[in-house]
Amino acid sequence: MASITTWLESIRQDKASMIQWAAAVGVVLFAVSTPGFLSATSIRSLLTTVSFIGCVAVGMTFITLSGNIMSFSIGASMSATTVVFMMSLTLGLTPALILAFLFCAALNGIQGWLIGFFRANPLIISMAAYALIIGGAIYITGGRGIYPLTDETEVLKANLGPVPGPLAAFLIAVIVGQCILSFTRFGRNIYLVGTNPRAAKAAGIEPWRTVMWAYVAAGLFTAVSAVLVAARYRSGDMEHGIGYEYRAISAVLVGGTAIQGGEGSVVRTLAGTFFIALMQGLLILRGFGIEMQYLLIGLIVLAVIMLQWKGRT
Amino acid sequence: MTRRLRALLADPTVRPFAVLALITIILGIIDGSRGRVLSANTAYDVLQQFATIGPVALGLGLSMMVKEFDLSVGGVLSLAGCVAVMTGETNPVLGLLLAIAVGGLAGLAQGSIMTWLNLSSIGVTLGGLLTFGGLSYFLTGNTTIAFERLDVALAVNAPVLEIFSVRSLTAIFLFLVAAFVVSWTRFGRDLLAVGSDRRAAIVVGIRVDHILIAVFVISGALTAIGGGLLSYGLAAASPVALADTLVPGAAAAILGGVSLSGGKGRPLGIAGGVLVLSMLRSGLTAIGVPPFAHWIVTAGVLFAVGILDSEELNRRVYSIRHVYRW
Amino acid sequence: MSVSLGSQTIETVANVTVSGQMLLCDPILSVRGLSKSFGPVTALKQVSLDVYPGEIRAVCGENGAGKSTLVNILAGIDRPDAGAICFDGKICTLPSSTEAQRLGIAMVAQELSVCPDLSVLDNIWLGSMDVPFLHRRKELRRRAYEALSLLGAEHIALDTRVGRLTIGERQLVEIARMLTRNARVFILDEPTATLSDSEIDRIFVALARIRREGRSIVYVTHRLAEVFRICDSVTVLRNGEMVGTSKTTDIDRKKLIEMMLGRPFVEMYPEHGYVAGETILQIENLSIPGAVSNFSARVTRGDIVYIAGQVGSGAEGVIRTVAGLVYNATGSVQVNGKALHLGSADEAFHHNISFVSGDRAEEGIFRTLSVTDNLVAARLRELSRFGILNPISLRSEAIRLAVRVGVDQQRLRSRADNLSGGNQQKLAFGRCLGATQAGVIVLIEPTRGIDIGARAEIYQLMRQFCSQGYGLLVASTDLEEVVGVGDVVITMYRSRQVGYYRGKEINMQHIIADITHPLH
Repeated sequence: MASITTWLESIRQDKASMIQWAAAVGVVLFAVSTPGFLSATSIRSLLTTVSFIGCVAVGMTFITLSGNIMSFSIGASMSATTVVFMMSLTLGLTPALILAFLFCAALNGIQGWLIGFFRANPLIISMAAYALIIGGAIYITGGRGIYPLTDETEVLKANLGPVPGPLAAFLIAVIVGQCILSFTRFGRNIYLVGTNPRAAKAAGIEPWRTVMWAYVAAGLFTAVSAVLVAARYRSGDMEHGIGYEYRAISAVLVGGTAIQGGEGSVVRTLAGTFFIALMQGLLILRGFGIEMQYLLIGLIVLAVIMLQWKGRT
Repeated sequence: MTRRLRALLADPTVRPFAVLALITIILGIIDGSRGRVLSANTAYDVLQQFATIGPVALGLGLSMMVKEFDLSVGGVLSLAGCVAVMTGETNPVLGLLLAIAVGGLAGLAQGSIMTWLNLSSIGVTLGGLLTFGGLSYFLTGNTTIAFERLDVALAVNAPVLEIFSVRSLTAIFLFLVAAFVVSWTRFGRDLLAVGSDRRAAIVVGIRVDHILIAVFVISGALTAIGGGLLSYGLAAASPVALADTLVPGAAAAILGGVSLSGGKGRPLGIAGGVLVLSMLRSGLTAIGVPPFAHWIVTAGVLFAVGILDSEELNRRVYSIRHVYRW
Repeated sequence: MSVSLGSQTIETVANVTVSGQMLLCDPILSVRGLSKSFGPVTALKQVSLDVYPGEIRAVCGENGAGKSTLVNILAGIDRPDAGAICFDGKICTLPSSTEAQRLGIAMVAQELSVCPDLSVLDNIWLGSMDVPFLHRRKELRRRAYEALSLLGAEHIALDTRVGRLTIGERQLVEIARMLTRNARVFILDEPTATLSDSEIDRIFVALARIRREGRSIVYVTHRLAEVFRICDSVTVLRNGEMVGTSKTTDIDRKKLIEMMLGRPFVEMYPEHGYVAGETILQIENLSIPGAVSNFSARVTRGDIVYIAGQVGSGAEGVIRTVAGLVYNATGSVQVNGKALHLGSADEAFHHNISFVSGDRAEEGIFRTLSVTDNLVAARLRELSRFGILNPISLRSEAIRLAVRVGVDQQRLRSRADNLSGGNQQKLAFGRCLGATQAGVIVLIEPTRGIDIGARAEIYQLMRQFCSQGYGLLVASTDLEEVVGVGDVVITMYRSRQVGYYRGKEINMQHIIADITHPLH
């Protein structure tokens, strides 16, 4: 009996879980009362779309946990990776995959190095990277999309049993990401550096390495999304990733990860991603247009952030 | 003489103007005698960009000066544009005032939430960005709305004295007012104090909450003026949140001497930073550099600024100079 | 003129000594029944006291006794939960520091409250009601200059950015700010921690002058020597309660400490160890441009070596260099005979050097993480295989470390910032325990901000480490600790090494002389 009350007490104190529980309950009620929601196809299509953003959100989680707030360039690096992926398909599927992952990891890893090594401001560096990627992409692609000549990418659109391919990839990414955070030294270091980089240094952890690898991890997860998106739309285009950073950070924050770092998890981001997606889906089914969705997501993010208030000191 | 010059250059408000002069000279030399860079045309172009980016940079810069960050500028910009266009058909001035009120209210709401709940501005203004951007989608029904008053659209951009326009003159006026307030009034001094050391400001009795809210109201209003006039000039309002103003705005502010660690920077310096970026853009266009180069140059400027403003720079430079194994 | 031991006795009449004459008069500031809680923690409980004109009243107590809470309420920065405040015979509320300013109460807070990006002039006038909306600077400049001169600090130019001043100079600017307020009651909360002796002398001259003008001063300090030097009377708080007020002539140091502790004064420094061991740390010709010149020292296993020096003497720089946190140090440091590359915290870590910082919140602990996470933070590399951690082995390691440093096992899951200062410092010590060899621990101000009771535990812990073969190198400005705990004391003054004392040679007078005005 005592354990149940302490569990309830701990939930009450931990506002993040409170949000998740309240949201889950509210959404389930709302969902069940909406006609058409429970039909399999609508759920599956929703979850597919959400998986693209979700993988990026997992990557963004690493960046936020390491104490670097967010990256303004992660959408652009995702788009650029789709372009690179499509352009290298002439070499074969596997080499193209490897190149895409390396490219995205490097794009973000270099940013992570600059931010960690010089303790430069993460927002400024990511804005600079955004500008660089956009400029470079305009130069290379001339503003057009890149289209593949063959059908190699079809395999990436396959389903894993009843589960849509992208959703399976997203869930695997979540599992991998969470395992890294919970069970590896690297993951622990991210929490330590995100909480207090100076104390981490005093404890023998070199912060810049951790930060750089966190960004590399973010790049790798983003590359997953890029490859899936490129396969789904059969093109590499800078338009793909527009707005992704905002949607990713929304998912991260709604899930309950703290924006200043050191607190949160990939599982929370999963909850945040699903929550936003469900809200969107319900709105669509109830006949609201896309403009209502944007507004609603904005209000939800605002509300969640307000719920993270720590009280007046 | 050289010592005074060096002291002057060390002043972060003067530096962007020095950079501006340098860039203009370099571009002028590249241009040769074709007169494309040093022309009234280019000057007009520069000032038009100043009119667009300037208010955003100023608002963002003021929020950085108090050690916060107003991410919502993009959303407020488009929302204000939509409000101005949608309500300004019969009376454009009223439409503009309404837009300013909306911007100010947006800032008031965000500022109040921040201070009341003791939250950091990044989270709240991110929510604001998404909300206000979403609101502009909602108001316009996800379409571009045309502004019927083409006379106003032309008047707002019509050249005054060859190089100015109503928009750029408004922006200049705003900067002058801001400069006066920051340097010559107690409010300005307290603002800098809040940014420099917030705890100390609380201890000496400065009403920090009021100042923070005021800064965000001002930032919202400034962005709204810029957005309203911009939309009038384009004769259209589009719900797409102009995220492309955040990056140049932040870059301009930091070039102008504002630091993310607060307490530093002055409105005139920010003006200089905006002019530097505008000059780069216009100058490069004038000598025929393709658009992608603008992005690359902006990226270069931001990288340089990010690294030069960074904390560990001295340490790393020292290590590299002494070929040290880390 | 009475000593009240036990709480709640109120003095209604006191004799005030103003240049040797006894006068009877009413208090300028009275509080009755003041109480304040922060959540579950009671900071003040029914505190009452009177302050008289022309009096310098010391307020003493351990950390957590409520001194700072009390003066923050008097200055209008915090509001009490209960109780009354009476100023100049009239009951008043102090809803803000501006209101307190208006009434005539001015304060210098414990933590430095200057804005580094503003000028000295602006900082002096920060928050003052006398400043009009449109800055008029001439009159303000004159008064600011006067205030600085009073403190002997007129060499500080009014337009300098405060960020360029030394910590001592910034403190003087803050005191100048207080002086411009034309108050009847001045409150100073631990003002001398960062000041040199000559600067402290000037402050006391200024305070004496204020007293002559009939104003009052409330002086919060834990430097008992200063209490007896300048203060007329002393109020003691303990655990948020008022213990008593006494004239400084009626009480001695031992009695004062007993009032603060609530128990008889017991020797709190553990026995010195006399383990003669091998040299574990050898420093030669260490220099940091602008901070340290040619420092050399040797630490043997089992020794606690103290570097004594005031703020800015370079002692901290030496410690941070050994910890690998200074990038432009030159010289040689050897650990167990092996050379240490300077400037890399990683390197230092691999040489078995642990660092306990003087700045717990900023550098010492991970405030929002659990006690377990804090304890094992430095051990992750050893406890992981192929980069993978086993949460069970982490927990058992945390238990082991907690036991060794005396942290309650029940607390393992709690957040580190829920612990007291003393316990937090133990976490930092726990991090130093390595699995294999005993190494070097370098520390800065290990007991800063920790109350007397917990200090004794920390000293015991330090001795324990020594007996296990560690060598300790400590920088400290707390001379009582230096003399009480150190096996070897090295003194520093303005970047240079001055003296070296071992065992019986350690002598408080000589050390003070070295660090304040050495002969060469």
